[in-house]
This record gives sequence, structure tokens and C-alpha cells, in this order.
Amino acid sequence: MTKTTGTPPAVSFTGAVKSFGSVHAVQGVDLRISRGETVALLGRNGAGKSTTISLLLGLTEPDEGGVELFGGPPEASVRAGRVGAMLQEGRAVPRVTVRELVTFVAGRYPAPMPVARALELAGIADLAGRRVDRLSGGQTQRVRFAVALAGNPALIVLDEPTAALDVEARHAFWASMRSYARLGHTVLFSTHHLEEADAYADRILVIDAGRIVADGTGEQLKRAVGGSLVAFDLAGRGTAGLELLPGVLSLEVRGDRVRLRTDDSDATVTALAGLDAIRGLEVAPASLDEAFLLLTAHGGSAPDPGGAPPRTPIGPERASSSNSPGGGTPGRAGLHGPALHGPRETEAS
Amino acid sequence: MLDYLRLEVRRTLRDAGFVIGGIAMPVLMYLLFTHLGADDGGWKTGAMVGMAGYGAVGCALNTGGGVAEDRAIGWLRQLRVTPMTPRQVVIGRTLTGSVTVLPAIVAVLVAGGLLNGVRLDAWQWATIALLLWLGSVPFTLLGLGNGYRLSGQTTGVANMACNLGLAVLGGLWFPVTLFPDWLRTLSGYTPTYRFAQLGTSVAAGHAPAPGALAVLTLWLLAFGSYAVLSYRRSAGNI
Repeated sequence: MTKTTGTPPAVSFTGAVKSFGSVHAVQGVDLRISRGETVALLGRNGAGKSTTISLLLGLTEPDEGGVELFGGPPEASVRAGRVGAMLQEGRAVPRVTVRELVTFVAGRYPAPMPVARALELAGIADLAGRRVDRLSGGQTQRVRFAVALAGNPALIVLDEPTAALDVEARHAFWASMRSYARLGHTVLFSTHHLEEADAYADRILVIDAGRIVADGTGEQLKRAVGGSLVAFDLAGRGTAGLELLPGVLSLEVRGDRVRLRTDDSDATVTALAGLDAIRGLEVAPASLDEAFLLLTAHGGSAPDPGGAPPRTPIGPERASSSNSPGGGTPGRAGLHGPALHGPRETEAS
Repeated sequence: MLDYLRLEVRRTLRDAGFVIGGIAMPVLMYLLFTHLGADDGGWKTGAMVGMAGYGAVGCALNTGGGVAEDRAIGWLRQLRVTPMTPRQVVIGRTLTGSVTVLPAIVAVLVAGGLLNGVRLDAWQWATIALLLWLGSVPFTLLGLGNGYRLSGQTTGVANMACNLGLAVLGGLWFPVTLFPDWLRTLSGYTPTYRFAQLGTSVAAGHAPAPGALAVLTLWLLAFGSYAVLSYRRSAGNI
């Protein structure tokens, strides 16, 4: 139906914009998700994840731009039963059993999967006869997952599906999600857990301040912000000239140890060897945490009236001045709270 | 749609508050009110219709409480991402209201016939039940209007206030003959008085007065518009 040859993508956003009063929740999102992909929408709270998902599901209309599912308006796909969703704010539906609820939802779809199969995939087959409002938080979450997949939709959308799950429940959940994705379905989930996005998605879309600031596999994102970290002891020598070594993108000193972010660790290490500077050398891949922090470092002020100015999506130069105290797992705390400022600033205080 | 109706009726009947407040209470109040003080025979029949009406109004309004609850927990939003259309959801909810008023009506009529010795012809029983059932639609719409407009807790309070206020004003609890003149005049304009009148006319052996139908129709339109406006206002953020 659209300009593309062959089948239209499962999801397509073209310049979608959505504001609520002075809050510019989504500021021009372009994205395409092909059929069969598993994609993570990664961003901190308030970055625009839920609004993007509302637009995608047709729950909200964009102010500008367009949103299409399977080459048509979202409503058409929803009505045709091509979409299943686990919404973030959903709570337990009172006074129904798990089986009644899932059976009811499955019955709305043209080609649902057998209810027993849906319960099994969601790992709640043994809870079928229980009342939904008498389950634990993790169990309720899995019921909502069963509700999302009961209709066997081609596209399943999960808005922060593992919020409020403990580690074990989280693993069980992702195992279920993977089995579903393996059936050839398109999966889009939002999360602010980096490791989840890295581990379970084929592709990660990083959203910040209402914009997609990065799009790629976890590997690509890590590489984009400087593939690896090279750390070594200064052993009394100065740091002068280290930034100029081949591959080096930024430099960070902690005590007597220096950490170089580099996009070519081999060249950097070779050059260091030439300087006879190798003391306690360590080469490690950049973590996705760091990639994420760099990508979203200053843009986190999404709710600013008037909107944050657009940021260059991938900006190692911004990090070059940093002498950040944020270490090995920088800024995890900053990702959880409704932090409105870059976690770097928050932490440095 | 039928599945949705079945699901929601089931959920309503599992609500202990609904069963006690909506069905048991009117029966108990009916038995209590008809065994206090002198009885002139007509009161048992009048109170039967009044309490059946009171129960029906309570159950009809309760539908709105269900809507408010479902909005709060995100269930209505979840339904929006299934192939169900919003229209089907609203119609399903209205039908749920129509179904869930039946137990209250039947329970009070049965109490009248079996326990209080009210004697009516078969056609009168059937017609009273039918008219009270149909006549409860405006109250379902009032409840839906509250449920789509107000938060869960406020809906509960608003429904309670509507229920008690309209029941007392409309003479469902005490006959309006006990009211002072001005209140009786006012009562004539309430939907509840006219609603009960549908039943009392039939119990007295004649068709409902045109006035009753006219006033009730006006309320039907008013509450219907209220429900539509409330729904439209909230539809975007369900």
C-alpha cells in the first residue's frame, strides 16, 4: 500500500509529533520495524516511550506526521486483530478467573491461539482457575502478557513488561517472550533496563527527549560511542598527549589510573606500547550502560517547556571533557528515578 | 458482544457488594417496611413496586461504578487494543446494566408474592416486571454518565447520592401521600416516581398514565445525552 516494494513494514513512523500542552512528548519520530523483528524501545522515564506506544496503537493521534501499522492506520490493524498489547498502567481485572479473561480476549480475535497454549506460553497454566485479582504482582503481569498474546497477533507491543518483576519472574517472562517471537511474530517492547534491551532485542531504539537518538544492535550502539575502554596505571607519568593517540575518543582519570575510550583498541594499545606506558593494562568493551548515558546525557530534559534543542545523536566529543566519577556501572540510579537532568550532572553533585 | 455481556454480568454478580446492596437490601427493606406499623393492604403492593424499583435503580447505577472501576484499572484501555470497537463496549455495558437489574426486580416481586401475600393476575406480574425492567434504562444511562465522567470513588458517591435522593424523592421508600404538598409536586417530576408509577398503575389494573411515560421519556433523553457527553469527554483518555 505504501511506497515500499513488497510487504509494508509492521510499524512505520514518519515525523510523528505529539505534545500535551507544553510538554513535547514525541518530537518527530521516524522509525520502521520489519515483520519478525524483536525491537526494544529504550529510554528513561519521561523520554517518550509510552507516548510512542500510544501513537503506535492508535490510542493517541499524532499532531503531525504519520503512523502506520502493516501499511495502514493503526486502528485498522487493531480492528483486524493484528495487534496485541500489554499496556503499562494495566492492573488486575477484578472478579474474573485467568481462564475466563484470556478466553474472552482470545475470542475477540479472528485467529487466536488455543487458550491453553497462551496460558502455557505465559507460564500461568497452573493459575487458570484462579481469580485474577487474587494473584501476586508477578503473576498478574504474566496474565497481562497472556492477554496480549491470546489473539495470536502478528505484532505484540509490551510497554515496560517487566516493571515490578523480581529477577526470577523477569527471566521467566523473557523466556516466554522469546518463545513467542520465535514463532515469527514482531515484538516491540519498551524498557529502561539496558541489559534487557541488549539481551532480548535484535535491535534497540534509544529514545530521549521525544526523539530516536540511536538505532541499532546493542553491539552497534556500544561501538558508536567508542567501542572499548583501555585502562592502565599512569605510574606517575602525565596524561598529556594521550587524547591524541590513534583511536582515542575521550580520556578519564581516576586516581592514578586512566581510562581511554577508543574506537580502535588495537591501535591505541600499540601506540601505548610504543610509549612504554603499559602498566596494569585492561581492555574492555564499552558497556551498553555507558553507551546509553552518552546518547542521552543532556537530552533528558524532555518535559522542558519549549523543548530541548536537538542533540547530535552520537557525540563522543561531549564526553571528552568528562572527568566523571560515574564508574564501572555508571548512573544506574539515574535511569530509574524520574530524572529530568542528565544522570551525569545528578551524580557529579 | 455476547461474550462481553456474559463476562461483565458474571463480574457484576460476583461482586458481594452488588449482591448485598443491590438485591438483598431492597428485599430486606421491603419486608421491614411492610411489617412496621398499620397495614392497609395497598401498601404491601405499593412498597413492593417501590422497592423493586429502588433495587433496579441501584443496580442500574452500579453499571456506572463498574465503568469507573474499569477505566481506573486500564481494562477499558486494554479493550481498545483488541478488535472490539468502542461502540460494542458501550452497548455491551448498557446491556449489562439491563441484565443486572433483573435479579433485584424479581427478588422483591417474589418476596411480595410469596412472603407478603400480594395477589395479582399473572399478566400484572409479568407486565410489572417488564415495565420496571425497561423503565430502568434511563438510570443505567445516568450511571454510565457518572462512570465515564468521574473517578472511581466519586462515581460511587455520586451513584449513592443519586440512588438515595431519587428513591426518597420519588416515593420509592415512603408513599408520596405522606409528603407535604410542595414535595409531592416536586416528586411528580422525578424519574423515580414516574418509574414506580409504571408498576403501580399496572398493579391497580390499568395502563400507565401518559404523564408517566412522557416524564420518563424526557429523563431518558436527558440521561442519555449526559452519558454520550461523558463518554465523548473521556473517550480520548480511556
